[in-house]
Amino acid sequence: MSTNTTNSLSGVLCSFAFAGVITALMTAIFIVESQLLIAGVLLGTIGAIVISSKFGVTSIILKSLGENENLSNALAVLVTLALIVIFYDDHYVLFILCTILLYSVTVLGLNIQLGYAGLINFSGAAFFGVGGYTAAVLSQYHSIPPILTLVIGGIIAAIVGSILLLPILRTSGHYSALVTLAFALLFKVFLDVNDSLGGAQGVDVGSFTLFGWDFGNDITIGSYDVSFYVPYVLASLVMLCVVFFFVRRIERSWIGLCLDSVRIDEVSSSCFGINIVRWKIVAFTIGNFVAGLSGALYASILGYISPANFSFGDSLMFLSILLLGGIGNLWGTIIATAIVVVLPEKFQVIQEYRLFIYSTLVLLMIVYRPVGLLPRKTRTYRPGESS
Amino acid sequence: MDISLLAQFTVNGLMLGMMYALVAVGFTLFFGVLDIIVFSHGDVVMVGAFAALTGHYWLTGIYPDMSMWVELFFISCISIITVAAFGMIMAKTMILRLRSASPLNTLLATMMLGTVLREAVRLFFPGGSNPKPFPVLLPDISASFGDFTLRFDSVILFVLGALLIVSLHLLITKTKLGMAIRAVAQDEETARLMGVNFTLIVLITFAIGSAVAAFAGVMNGLYYNEINFGMGLLLGAIGFSAAIIGGLGNIYGAILGGFLFAGLQTLGAVAMPFASAYKDVFAFGVVILIMAWKPTGLIAEKTSERV
Amino acid sequence: MSDSLLQCTGLTMHFGGLAALSDMSLHINKGEVLGLVGPNGSGKTTFFNVVSGIYKPTCGTVIFDGKDITSESPQAVYNHGISRTFQLSRLCLELSVFDNIMIGNHKRLSRGFISNIFSRRKFNEEYEDGLKRATHILTALNPELANRMFDVVSELPMIDRRRIEICRALISKPKLLFLDEPSAGMTHEETRQLMDEILNMGSYAKGLSIVLIEHEMNVIKRVTDRCVVFNFGQKLFEGTYSEVIADPAVQEAYLGKEVE
Repeated sequence: MSTNTTNSLSGVLCSFAFAGVITALMTAIFIVESQLLIAGVLLGTIGAIVISSKFGVTSIILKSLGENENLSNALAVLVTLALIVIFYDDHYVLFILCTILLYSVTVLGLNIQLGYAGLINFSGAAFFGVGGYTAAVLSQYHSIPPILTLVIGGIIAAIVGSILLLPILRTSGHYSALVTLAFALLFKVFLDVNDSLGGAQGVDVGSFTLFGWDFGNDITIGSYDVSFYVPYVLASLVMLCVVFFFVRRIERSWIGLCLDSVRIDEVSSSCFGINIVRWKIVAFTIGNFVAGLSGALYASILGYISPANFSFGDSLMFLSILLLGGIGNLWGTIIATAIVVVLPEKFQVIQEYRLFIYSTLVLLMIVYRPVGLLPRKTRTYRPGESS
Repeated sequence: MDISLLAQFTVNGLMLGMMYALVAVGFTLFFGVLDIIVFSHGDVVMVGAFAALTGHYWLTGIYPDMSMWVELFFISCISIITVAAFGMIMAKTMILRLRSASPLNTLLATMMLGTVLREAVRLFFPGGSNPKPFPVLLPDISASFGDFTLRFDSVILFVLGALLIVSLHLLITKTKLGMAIRAVAQDEETARLMGVNFTLIVLITFAIGSAVAAFAGVMNGLYYNEINFGMGLLLGAIGFSAAIIGGLGNIYGAILGGFLFAGLQTLGAVAMPFASAYKDVFAFGVVILIMAWKPTGLIAEKTSERV
Repeated sequence: MSDSLLQCTGLTMHFGGLAALSDMSLHINKGEVLGLVGPNGSGKTTFFNVVSGIYKPTCGTVIFDGKDITSESPQAVYNHGISRTFQLSRLCLELSVFDNIMIGNHKRLSRGFISNIFSRRKFNEEYEDGLKRATHILTALNPELANRMFDVVSELPMIDRRRIEICRALISKPKLLFLDEPSAGMTHEETRQLMDEILNMGSYAKGLSIVLIEHEMNVIKRVTDRCVVFNFGQKLFEGTYSEVIADPAVQEAYLGKEVE
């Protein structure tokens, strides 16, 4: 447990500086409206990344961040909090923040399934949607506390997912891909035609109420009118932190090792006593639970959901984020989510072409850099410890 | 249920099944030679339909009073040739590069490729975001047996589809080219050693598969008299399902799967007249059950792993 | 035969119409090194796969340490104390050396969520213990490799991968070790080195029984106490190395019938 304290001071400073830069960058992107300026900021960012990689600055930053993980994690939370404070009355920006945080949660869930256990899930958006629709149904009963709504959303998603367990355990490869793909299409059609859940028109989701306080109303603190989204962003942030911690711990434990082994080689895993069925069930169920959990919160924030929110295209987007960020790299996931969510929202010029551009980019990415933006690192069980 | 309604459902089911089988055959052919799923294949069907529509605009612009049959022949040729060429280009520039990637990555990449095709048509085809009327190029004759109407154009389309499948079968089993394709499908290394030009065979296979898809697209347009940019996604998913439940790499499996899926949809509509909108839910639900029952498809793929 | 550890009787394995193994009976004594030799396709690896539970035998019984383990799952066989390496190296190439070895140590690792995720005291104990034992075995095999514990396996040469495989098989302290052609893909010199290392395992190898599949006859000569010769899924001959090479039937199987 000996963290090297000698070179940490410069590392700490570097980490702080980096956090400041990220905050400034995000603020700039959110504030700037002119498309030309946005393009300028983006090009500037890309240029800065290219140049800093060339002079080794990127690796210094990554090293500093990796050296003291607790600090880096805390800084990431701080950056988010700073953005909340800066945009405390801006509904739009706060909503985008919620989206980033909750999509990241969902993709972290998919990461347990695909990144660790190697189970491909083409119905991520469906499980996200199960959580959402659960929240919609439960919001009719005001006595249920929000946290319970979220957990029930996750549990229902996990239960729905368990229907697919048998075919998923029996199949592999493309055959297994078909199972979740068929489910994603089935789920969307089901929502479209099922009138009791609002059909294609969708359904309202009541806002959270806690001790008589309605999350749907703006808050006044002193002379500041704070957007009603602020509590939601905070809730999303807490959820991401909890799930992030959980997934990180899974990775850095024997559970993560077993899942990796199951993914890479089932025959040799079974020859060393690893129960393949058990770990696949665990990974699939946890992943769906996490997707349902975030879906329930997201639906409550949206206030209104329809089948169009949970189409096959959305499942594909979740998987693409995972791939874009680098499968198994948790920070990569969050960064990729931010890019995928923010870019089309702010860059209105490409709004019409966004699906086109985005799918082209993912396609090129898979062909030319299949490991993603930040490839997964070799496992260290106890970071900061030199071996 | 009365017999004429049943006959109507059967005919519709057979038509759908033929279309699905034509799409599924492409999936299974591509899987055979490259061991990867080309999910964009459904969107290639859509491109085929749009290519035929473009041909229609162009031809009727030059010869306004062309006979139906001549035009049908020419726009089918235009569609099939352009899409076959397009399939080869796609294979050469994209698909062959994906061979070393993991199965997930190839699946995702080809799904993205499908999205690119879909979006390209929506954005760049004039008025592409709206459904487009497809020209009526088959005689509008029908024979009635009580309540049951047999449309003459359906019969023609079905027969043409069946002929295409039979000739494809003959091509694969009886010709030298077919032998090369089968050799590559069975063992790429050995096929190479035996002097088979691997890349060429892959490209030809893509040309064939894409041509069949283009035909399916024309068929789809003629049958529904309307095409739209998004039609490929569901067709692709159904073609993929059909190829998988039949058992990958097996043409008979793909045909079986195609008709089976159409049968399920029809059955769903017949058995639940009160909720025929659930027919796709039913069909995909049964697909999941089939996977639980036969994890490697109805006609199982031959696999072995050396331990 | 009171000191017999593994007793196989009438093992038969059919793949469709092909009998990969037919009526194979053999035993291995405690602390013995048994060599399995025979031409390619003679059923040696199939024998390993049947005993270790990957294949279910068509008929026959496997008694290990007094217990009937016929047709048990690979997981159960491992838990009884049989461990193995694979002919084609089956390491997790993208994981570290330590990770791969810990997969072999699975028996001793806790699988619960509490100890793995929330209260990490037990995890930390297991981690320390695992690291110590892995270092111990790797040092015995090759001290340099022990310093590369957290390197990715894909960056290591073939001989190191073999060492890791052996370490992964040994760390659970099995009673019986199956080595499936440990020399495959290596030079003579490397093979010699590796076999020396295995024999010098000291405390880890003490009392361990080994079944070794090997084509290199000088390896067989040097390390085995007894050999069984396989041919067409059947036992052709059984005896010491010198008896084996003197046997005309074995010579025929290997070199073909002499033309007079």
